[in-house]
Amino acid sequence: MKVLNRRLLHIIKGSRSQFLGLAVIIAVGISLYIGITTAFFNLSQSQQYFYQENNFADYYFYVVRAPESIIKQVERVPGVSLASGRIQKDVPVWKKDQERATLRLTSYDLPLDKQVNGIELIQGRFFSPYPAGGGIEAMVNPAYFEANGLTFGDTVDIIAENRKYPVKIVGTAAGPEFTYIMKDAANLLPDHETFGIMMLPLNQAQHLFNLPGQFNQLLVQFAPGVDQDRAVQSIKEILTPYGNLASFPRQDQLSHAALEGELEGLEAISLFLPLIFLSIAAAIQFIILRRMIKTQRSQIGIMKALGFDNAQIIFHFSSYAILICTGGALLGIGSGVLMASYFSDLYAMFFNLPRAIGGVNYQVILYSIILSLGLGALAGFSASRPILKISPAESMRPQPPSSSIRSLVEKCNWLWSRLSSSWKMAFRTISRNRFRMLVSILGISSAVALLILSMFTNDAVDYLMDQHFNRESNYDYMLSFNQPIKESELLNISRLEGVELIEGYFTLPIRVYQGGRSEEDVLVGIHPSSTLKHPTREDGTFIPIPQEGMLISRRSAERLGLKVGDTVELETLLGLGPNRYAQLKIVSINYQLFGNESYVSLAQANRIIHESQLITGALIKVDPGRAAGIEKALSDMTGINSIVSRQKERDNILSMMDSMIYMVGVMIIFSVILGFVIVYNSAIMGFNERKRELASLLTLGFTRQEVAGIMWKETIPQALPALVLGLPAGKVLAELYFSSMQFDMWYMPVVIYPLSYALAALGGLVFVLLGQWAASRGIKKLDIIELSKNID
Amino acid sequence: MNQDLLMQLKGVSKTYVMGEIRVEALKESSLDIYRGEILVILGPSGSGKSTLLNLIGGMDRPSNGDIVYKNRHLSQASDQQLTQFRRHEIGFVFQFYNLISDLTAEENVALAAELVKNPLPTREVLSQVGLEQRRDHFPSQLSGGEQQRVSIARAMVKNPTLLLCDEPTGALDFQTGISILQLLKQTRDTMGSTVIIVTHNTAIGAMADRLVRMRSGEIAEIIVNESPLPPERIEW
Repeated sequence: MKVLNRRLLHIIKGSRSQFLGLAVIIAVGISLYIGITTAFFNLSQSQQYFYQENNFADYYFYVVRAPESIIKQVERVPGVSLASGRIQKDVPVWKKDQERATLRLTSYDLPLDKQVNGIELIQGRFFSPYPAGGGIEAMVNPAYFEANGLTFGDTVDIIAENRKYPVKIVGTAAGPEFTYIMKDAANLLPDHETFGIMMLPLNQAQHLFNLPGQFNQLLVQFAPGVDQDRAVQSIKEILTPYGNLASFPRQDQLSHAALEGELEGLEAISLFLPLIFLSIAAAIQFIILRRMIKTQRSQIGIMKALGFDNAQIIFHFSSYAILICTGGALLGIGSGVLMASYFSDLYAMFFNLPRAIGGVNYQVILYSIILSLGLGALAGFSASRPILKISPAESMRPQPPSSSIRSLVEKCNWLWSRLSSSWKMAFRTISRNRFRMLVSILGISSAVALLILSMFTNDAVDYLMDQHFNRESNYDYMLSFNQPIKESELLNISRLEGVELIEGYFTLPIRVYQGGRSEEDVLVGIHPSSTLKHPTREDGTFIPIPQEGMLISRRSAERLGLKVGDTVELETLLGLGPNRYAQLKIVSINYQLFGNESYVSLAQANRIIHESQLITGALIKVDPGRAAGIEKALSDMTGINSIVSRQKERDNILSMMDSMIYMVGVMIIFSVILGFVIVYNSAIMGFNERKRELASLLTLGFTRQEVAGIMWKETIPQALPALVLGLPAGKVLAELYFSSMQFDMWYMPVVIYPLSYALAALGGLVFVLLGQWAASRGIKKLDIIELSKNID
Repeated sequence: MNQDLLMQLKGVSKTYVMGEIRVEALKESSLDIYRGEILVILGPSGSGKSTLLNLIGGMDRPSNGDIVYKNRHLSQASDQQLTQFRRHEIGFVFQFYNLISDLTAEENVALAAELVKNPLPTREVLSQVGLEQRRDHFPSQLSGGEQQRVSIARAMVKNPTLLLCDEPTGALDFQTGISILQLLKQTRDTMGSTVIIVTHNTAIGAMADRLVRMRSGEIAEIIVNESPLPPERIEW
């Protein structure tokens, strides 16, 4: 066996560039597998652990106010295993830099072990319900703490029920509902500077909001395997007298939906993406080995004649593939662990999970070794099968002529007769190696498709940003008020120097009923003449605001199966005054990218709540030169709950996108490597098996460039259709990827700009040129003197 | 015999350096080649005959000496010029044919025809070598003799001045070998090409106008054959 091993080393040495290229492809596949799977595994495990430890709620019920005694009643509902009441409300914060932020005050009753949606201390200490020196103690989420440069012991001024309260920050904490902290679905990304979570004792919250012995949110955990719908129905009935505003399951909880979306995306690509690389590498190994066995037929015969048995020879040849995979796996494990740590850092930036989500996952590494060795063995053993049929005596004779080497193009007589001999040669060679051609075409198209997949997220986000910031919303600031005001009161703001345009709006939480089903939604009333905010159709064009009827949100339309022309019943869930009911006709469906809002005219919104000219917020367009002054003036106004600056939102998204650029770059490099190795291998195999023929062309008087041209002619009919095929394949891949992680909070259209197609095609062209160039370098070394020597 | 001088080799030698070993494949030799002659270069293996043929055919440059072809000094020609020389002046026939396996007999010939401006008609050349009926066959479907005929047709189609044959009958049985030699003679007779045959088979020398004997990397003697035998009368 030692001699065979040495022979194997010679073979590897002789084809070292192919060997190395394939090992790199395997390494890329393995590192993607380890990187993504480790990230998925770790993220999903810390999610589950965090959820379990802190009794993450299965269902949320929002009420106007309800007595704590109700909780016992809810806990008696069959199927309910745990229920907690709490107070949660958004309050404006006056920051030291005069800027506005919003904190979501969330109350907790100590001890926490029986609390649904508990929290864990990250740093500092827990709040005390009754601090020694009086006042209020609270904890905030670490990201808000950091983004606002807070230290323990600092006080934060909040406004609750129109009164300012200083709150002392004593610690930071994390909870399962705060892993991805966003104010609402109208945001794409968190902005920790202007939005955070403040956790404080229940008694203090009840005091702040004047709700003694009461709560405004009920969180419920169900026992496993119960009929949730029935339990939810019973709880709703219990809560009805207390103004049941909204209720939704865990899957609609924003933070959970974002985390799940990411996990689903990761899971979808964790196997699929590495498999593209690994299966192409395996297919090429198969082709190389088959070729090797064919050309070394007589040597195999000699080995058999010498007394080596089939198993030894098969193992000898298969070892070539197994060694490629071993080398690839070793390389891949190293870079995979690095990639996993990069992903973990990235996720740590996005998701607030207290348990470490980094770390090497040995199980995944073990799987990757099994995966790569299994693939190598599969490619090796299946390619080595013909060895069984080689008999020592026969192998010494020349091989019978291959049966069909006529090309498909020959069927088209007109074209064939016009082709030069070198083109005929190319087409015949291709059709003689159909499997190799198929692998080349599939491989090159996959590489181009991966290039598109790498680049399209940028397009999608760019489109999203453009659509959102430049078309759907034209305002510079969005204000929301502590309570509804008359539109005429906007005069105070419109008089500020630099305010160019101001439009009031009314936001109304609603429940939409349709055929026994219902869905919570947000109805926004704006002026039909509004230029600062535009609902849009699926193709991105604006929908005019109708005087009568509504533009329903895509999500509600999809969930309730509604279509244009249907009439739906709405119930308002404002929490102020009685709930109102109205019947509205659906005029159109709103495909706005952020926020899932339904629209009516401002007058219609007022009619629904039996009011007139009320607004809950305003959109402002300002002179950019005076923006800072206006922002300052707005910050000083009481009655304003929050100020959202569009510029800041945009900057925040852009800075978050920056962190993705490395991943895009890495994926582009991986795709180009894949394409390069495919083209190089295919061309070098063609070159090696026809060295003698190509050299004979030189004796005929062909120049070396003309010989290189003949090699090109073999590559072009494979590369060109593959490049073209790769473009739509990339779109399909992008669609599959998005549909795998499509959560209905956000509507993410697959947008691929022509530039990305062009760049992907260019990238494809680059790897084809590079691969072909690398393979044709051998032409320079072709020795025509060798021709007069014996064959073999 | 026509004494129109076609090529002159003046004191050419060839030394190959392989690592630390220097192999003197051809010692200083001089040879005149005339238009329309059949020149047979005879010698055992290692005698330098193939090296000499490669130098004549512009496949290699001499280490020393000069090769003059139609007033051109091939010994100083660039790669590009040598390629042009092979393309327009030379036809090569090898022992192992070296046909393109993916092209039919006719296409193999056409491939060479595409290289020059005024090639002979492919079909005509194929019929001259007796392969008109087999023109659609691939090399793997042809016998050795047939493949060698394709190889000769491929060389002829460019209408070369020099037809260089390296052991053209080496891989063939006696009968087939004789028919190939007949074909080569016929080529010289009809087209006026100079035919140079390199072989270790002394019997073939009988058909030559001149015979070059080589030994240990040098020309031992040059014999003018006043009465060359027709190939069909040769035996080995």
